[in-house]
Amino acid sequence: MSHHLYLLSPSDTPLYSLTHYSSKPAQATVTSPLASNLPSWSTSAFAGTLTALSGATSATQPHHVQGGTVRVGGGQDRHVIQMIANASLDVIEEVVRKENAMYLKSVDKFNEWTVSAFVTPGNMKFVLLHEARNDDGIKAFFNDVWELYVKTMLNPFHTAHTPIRSPVFDSRVRASAKKYL
Amino acid sequence: MDSLAFGSLAHIHILIVPIGNIHRATYEKWASEVRGFETIPLEDIPIDSRDDRARFMPTPLAKGHLHLNYLSHPSSLSHNALSLFRPSEFPLGVIGIASCSQSDSISSILTAFGTAMSGLPLQGSAIPATRNCFVFEDSDVGLDVGDRFPGLVIIPGMMGNKRVHIGTLIAGLCSQILGQFAAVMQSLETPLGNEYLNASLFPNLPPSSEFPKPLDSSGGFRDPAPLPARNSQPDLSNGSSRSKTPLGAKRVSSGPGLAPIRHASLPPTPATTKKRPSAIGAASSHGRLFKVLGDLFLLAGRHADSSVWYTEAIALFKNSQDAVWHASALEGLATIPIVEAWSSSNSMLSSDNEKEPWQDIMDKLNYAQGLYHKTAPPSDAEGSHVHQTYLYAQCVLRQASLLFAVWTCKGWGSNTFANMLHPGPNPFLSGVPSTHPVAGTKGETNAASTLPPKATYAHMERLTTITGISRAQIAGVLAQVHGPWLLHLGPRERITILQATAGMYGALGYLRKEAYILRETLGSIMDLIVCGRQEQIGIRDSGSSSMNRGLAQPGASTSQGTVGIRENQRTEGNDSLLRIVKHICRVHGVDLETVRLVDVSAVSQATSRQDRDMTDDVSNADDDDLSELPQEPFGWPELQIGIVREAIAVAEALPDYPSVAQFSLSSLKMLHPVMSQSDQFHFYHTATRALATAIRRGDRRTVEYWAGRPVISVEVLSLPLIRLPLEKPLSLITTKPNNPSINPIFSGSRDPFLYNPRKLMSGQTQSILVQNERFEVSVTLRNPFIFDLQLESIALSTSGVRIESEGMPVIIPSNSYHPVTISGRALEAGTLVIRGCTVQAPGGVPREYTLPLSSEEDDQRLQRRTTALFEAGRSKRSGLDSRPWKRVDKQAKRQSARTTTIRYLECNVVPEQPLLRIKRTSLTHGAVMLYDGETSTIRLTFENVSLLPINFLRLTFDDSTIAPAQQLLTEGELSIFDTYETEYDLISRPVFFWDSSQGTHQVDPGEKTTVTVKCFGKVGCTSGAVHVSYAYIDRHEVPDKSLDIFHSRQLSYPVVVTVYHMLACHAMDILSFSAITNYASSMLTADDPVALEREWGQKGVWNVDDAADWCLFTVDVRNTYGLPFEVTFERSQPDLASTTRLVPPGSTSRLILPIKKILLSEEHVSRPIPTLSDRQFVVAKSALTSAEEKAQRELFWYREELFKVITGRWKESGGTRTGTLSLRQQRMTLPMLETLRTETVRVQMSLFYRDEDGVSKDVAVDPTRSKYFASPNEFMYLRIKVVNMSPLELVLTLNLTLDPAQHVIHQGTLVDIPVGRLAQAESRETEIPIIFVSAGQFNFTSDVYAITDPIQSGKVGRGQLRTAVKVQDFQP
Repeated sequence: MSHHLYLLSPSDTPLYSLTHYSSKPAQATVTSPLASNLPSWSTSAFAGTLTALSGATSATQPHHVQGGTVRVGGGQDRHVIQMIANASLDVIEEVVRKENAMYLKSVDKFNEWTVSAFVTPGNMKFVLLHEARNDDGIKAFFNDVWELYVKTMLNPFHTAHTPIRSPVFDSRVRASAKKYL
Repeated sequence: MDSLAFGSLAHIHILIVPIGNIHRATYEKWASEVRGFETIPLEDIPIDSRDDRARFMPTPLAKGHLHLNYLSHPSSLSHNALSLFRPSEFPLGVIGIASCSQSDSISSILTAFGTAMSGLPLQGSAIPATRNCFVFEDSDVGLDVGDRFPGLVIIPGMMGNKRVHIGTLIAGLCSQILGQFAAVMQSLETPLGNEYLNASLFPNLPPSSEFPKPLDSSGGFRDPAPLPARNSQPDLSNGSSRSKTPLGAKRVSSGPGLAPIRHASLPPTPATTKKRPSAIGAASSHGRLFKVLGDLFLLAGRHADSSVWYTEAIALFKNSQDAVWHASALEGLATIPIVEAWSSSNSMLSSDNEKEPWQDIMDKLNYAQGLYHKTAPPSDAEGSHVHQTYLYAQCVLRQASLLFAVWTCKGWGSNTFANMLHPGPNPFLSGVPSTHPVAGTKGETNAASTLPPKATYAHMERLTTITGISRAQIAGVLAQVHGPWLLHLGPRERITILQATAGMYGALGYLRKEAYILRETLGSIMDLIVCGRQEQIGIRDSGSSSMNRGLAQPGASTSQGTVGIRENQRTEGNDSLLRIVKHICRVHGVDLETVRLVDVSAVSQATSRQDRDMTDDVSNADDDDLSELPQEPFGWPELQIGIVREAIAVAEALPDYPSVAQFSLSSLKMLHPVMSQSDQFHFYHTATRALATAIRRGDRRTVEYWAGRPVISVEVLSLPLIRLPLEKPLSLITTKPNNPSINPIFSGSRDPFLYNPRKLMSGQTQSILVQNERFEVSVTLRNPFIFDLQLESIALSTSGVRIESEGMPVIIPSNSYHPVTISGRALEAGTLVIRGCTVQAPGGVPREYTLPLSSEEDDQRLQRRTTALFEAGRSKRSGLDSRPWKRVDKQAKRQSARTTTIRYLECNVVPEQPLLRIKRTSLTHGAVMLYDGETSTIRLTFENVSLLPINFLRLTFDDSTIAPAQQLLTEGELSIFDTYETEYDLISRPVFFWDSSQGTHQVDPGEKTTVTVKCFGKVGCTSGAVHVSYAYIDRHEVPDKSLDIFHSRQLSYPVVVTVYHMLACHAMDILSFSAITNYASSMLTADDPVALEREWGQKGVWNVDDAADWCLFTVDVRNTYGLPFEVTFERSQPDLASTTRLVPPGSTSRLILPIKKILLSEEHVSRPIPTLSDRQFVVAKSALTSAEEKAQRELFWYREELFKVITGRWKESGGTRTGTLSLRQQRMTLPMLETLRTETVRVQMSLFYRDEDGVSKDVAVDPTRSKYFASPNEFMYLRIKVVNMSPLELVLTLNLTLDPAQHVIHQGTLVDIPVGRLAQAESRETEIPIIFVSAGQFNFTSDVYAITDPIQSGKVGRGQLRTAVKVQDFQP
């Protein structure tokens, strides 16, 4: 079960990203039978894009319908995940204007992904793509990341648009992710 | 394709097709006329009361409407499986539209209609489509064809109100359709029909002929098919089901098809319906049949019946697990309230206050959606995945569009219903007039046109507040449509669904999600395009033998042979695709149109436009400046690059090469800071390739210059020195004869100020160029990219004077600044303004970049820029508002009020100038070797190589001694005396000298002239230069506004000078010419005249009349060179005399020359030491007393006088070279001065006896007349003669000193002996009797004092007399 975390600046630029593979077993998500038995056609590059974007397993992978080993809608395409994270900003932006809480749980759903977000007072958006519900864990994780982020921002040379490359930040976020996700 | 409207289940689809030769415009006109009938009131429908057709006919006074929806394309064949499941999907009627003008063409129209019908994929539909063809008359032909052509309706051109007629015709068509319903129903109600219906998930009816009853009585064009047993399965159940005929019973009991029901359209009682399940046989449930019935009643506008049958069906489905049909029935049921609400035009369902009125519908749809979603399709064999996915997607969209319609129409009202039933061409622009015409050709949807005008956040929030539906809610429902299952769908359905999804997201203001979906849409479309092309290629490859097939391809021309085949691609629709691409990229913060595409012809016009608008350029420049502002990055670089790559791929696949170039270059321009190296290379090469292809293919469009602002600075290189015209005031020529004293050495610095800012400024902005001669401009270019930027041409952009300059290709190395020199030629005199550069990339369009001079305002702007830099950390706009162009908009608004005056680099182009060159010189290698003081001549020959005559020529010189001397002078640390010496050296002894008076200065074109320059050897000089200034003045065509300046050019000829310092003078001295000397010289014997002369000089030199008038000038001359030199010193006064010595190498010789004493007048001597230059002396810094100063001046003037008299010369011994020897280095001391100067008062002392008779007798004197020989104890007289040599009258006294005084007896006083007043040259003698009282040596001294002033009395003369007194033998 994978999680994808993005720290987005107010101008939608990712300052930090993390892909975390949780050791917890994937919960049995209810997948529609409609998503099975997909035609494996890739007549052109565009079809490949389409396949990836729609959330289907990438066309290059062998297609085992029955085996169940290949998760349908795996969407492990990095680009697609980024697209989904980016697209979810639409909803986040709307919700942020109405809600006071910084933690926006399950603010958006797209394909098999659930998007949770955390918006700091400085309009930094932490976007987490996850598959299973884990509200408390995610909330705790976000709080950790926020604290780490604030500590990073204490650096006077760090602006809201500076990518975070600190290895300390990275390792701590990873540790937190391991703990909560 | 509007089957995604909420109310689509209630729509009767009618296909409109053009028939025969009809103009597009005409077709559009009539088609829109037909489309105007969206609804037909039930009462307008002619009732066909034949029994088998009357079942679905409306009751005579029924209220309600048929909802029509017009299609322009038939539904795809793959949907045929749904023909019974969802009859509303299919066109139930076909209207052909034709136009004709002649009666005989009617038959051809009929044929064409028939052909068109057979070409349409309508055969698979369960409900045969009813056809009709409307023939519109072109003119008032008055065709009356009667009923000869069944299926054709002629609409006369003369008919006034065509609309009413068309309405009637459509109503008739609808009536026929309803009749068809009855026929289909009839066949389904048979047991066999029911079995067919239940045979599979999406059943289909076999051809009607298989049914026992003849159904096909509508007189359609379909030929009766033969009767093969299509499927044996229905036959098996035939016997059992037919005998029971539950359908027949049903017809009787609940009988929608029966007459009683028809005239009293009451719903059947619940009691009767409840009976039915038990009545149905075990073979198959009738649920599906009821559902179909419900569908058809819904279509027929009989909602009550429909509702009843749906309810029945659902009740059955609940048990039978027929989930998909169940869901479909729920959808139908959910549609009914809306349709009813629309007809009654007031809300029926708003009674319940607790729940929103649409909640009930939502629940139904939600349930249906769940059913679709969760039910596994039985197998993939018959494409049930495809259909089920399609149904699911439709259901989700229906649900979403319900919410959306309510949201966008501000609640539950008639507007909402209308929107849901008849959404119009752009369902997501309700209330907003559609600005983009829908240009939907097949496969190229125009999703971009559905982009809503940007609704503000406030507006959208208001909608949410009114309706209680949040955008997130709608989006949440909508998001469910998206999933991997979309891949099941056929391309056409997928595009439709994605398009609707994207449109809805767009309308919600969810631009990023819209972009996501649009990408998928694009992917689908592009896949079709690519596949289509591959198929075409395949066909051509396989069937290239037959020309006909190739030609049949639309738009593709094939030719046989080995020559490359070029296809003319169809380009319609490409623009729409590109618009989508651009929109997607804009959402992600990449403006693909940063680099604009321009038409080549338009550009050439623009460039030919000479009078360029300045203001336009200003804004342009501003624009660029703004884009250069330091900006925080927007967006997700990784995504941006991925999307841009895809955009380029789309453009390449279309193919639209200019767009490929535009996209690549725009993204390069915008994203290059975040791009990786390989990406930059890739985009650049893609663009280059694409441009080349575009040009090869003759595309009229190309990109403008893109690579940022390449020009950093423009600088006019000053002309080479020989070509540089110097601006001189005309007065220089005119005043020159009058004022020759101004030495050019000092005239260089005319400006009294050391630092003159005014001059500096003007010199900075104006460089001087010459008409018709090449000049060069240095341009610094910048390349921020990591690849070598190739520029096809870079040229100067100027205004003012016409110039001739050609562009040149340049390659700027990666990531660097690169200087380039551009040359040009001004064709006129005047002012040339260099505005900047015109830059053109390969295959692109030239673009001008102006480069204004920096001004104060620029500085301010820079300052502002730095503050902007500080603000970069703060983000005032977030999300999509922080995209670069949004920010620019705001900044532009802020700065729009600013008015700027822009100055550009200006050059002064002076009229054509002549050009001179040095043809030859008399020097070899430009070097001259001289002895110190030697003078040689240099001959320079000039040639006029221009076409203009030269009538002004002047030479100035420079040498290496001048600059240090000038520096010394300017430092002002020298004493007055040294200053004079230095200046004298500069002025009177120049290294080079040219006599300007000789020769003519007119040099005609092509002619030569020779100039002779004298060169003087001066120690310390190592190099020099001859500068020739020349000009063409007094031109005839000089304009009358003639300025007081002219331009001259300068030619320099450097000379290397070597000066050997071989003779050194030192120890100059001046000695008194004593009587001894005189005697000695007279004693010289002439036995060896040569040796004598060599030793003493000319004999005559020494013959002086009066030794007292003379003094001796001596100087040591040392020869430090390796050759002997003859040195001559010559005096010029009172006669010409000289002394010459041969000075051998390494030795020193002393030269002696008697000179006459000099007396300078007091007034002459008291003059201050002059300064030769016109430098300004502020204060004489001397701290000397007046006496010292006087002495100094005296020394100075006598020295000057001495040097006038004495000249030194040398001559190479045995050679021809001669030169002068300077004494300037020698100092004069006070004793020397005393000696040189003629005494004021000359005192002559003599001794004599006097006889008794008073005759004086001289005392014996030694031969040199320097010593008297006297005897002691004898009366003698000491005679002192005082001569006033000065020009003044003097009152003198005399003091005598006798030494040793005790041995001399004298008479009278020795002190203050009055001499009296002596006029000039007057003399007076005083006699004193003395007696030497012993033998010995006696020295008598007499000092003469002048009493001019009681206080100050000075000694003015001195006399001496030496006497040797011996006791002599008395000689009587």
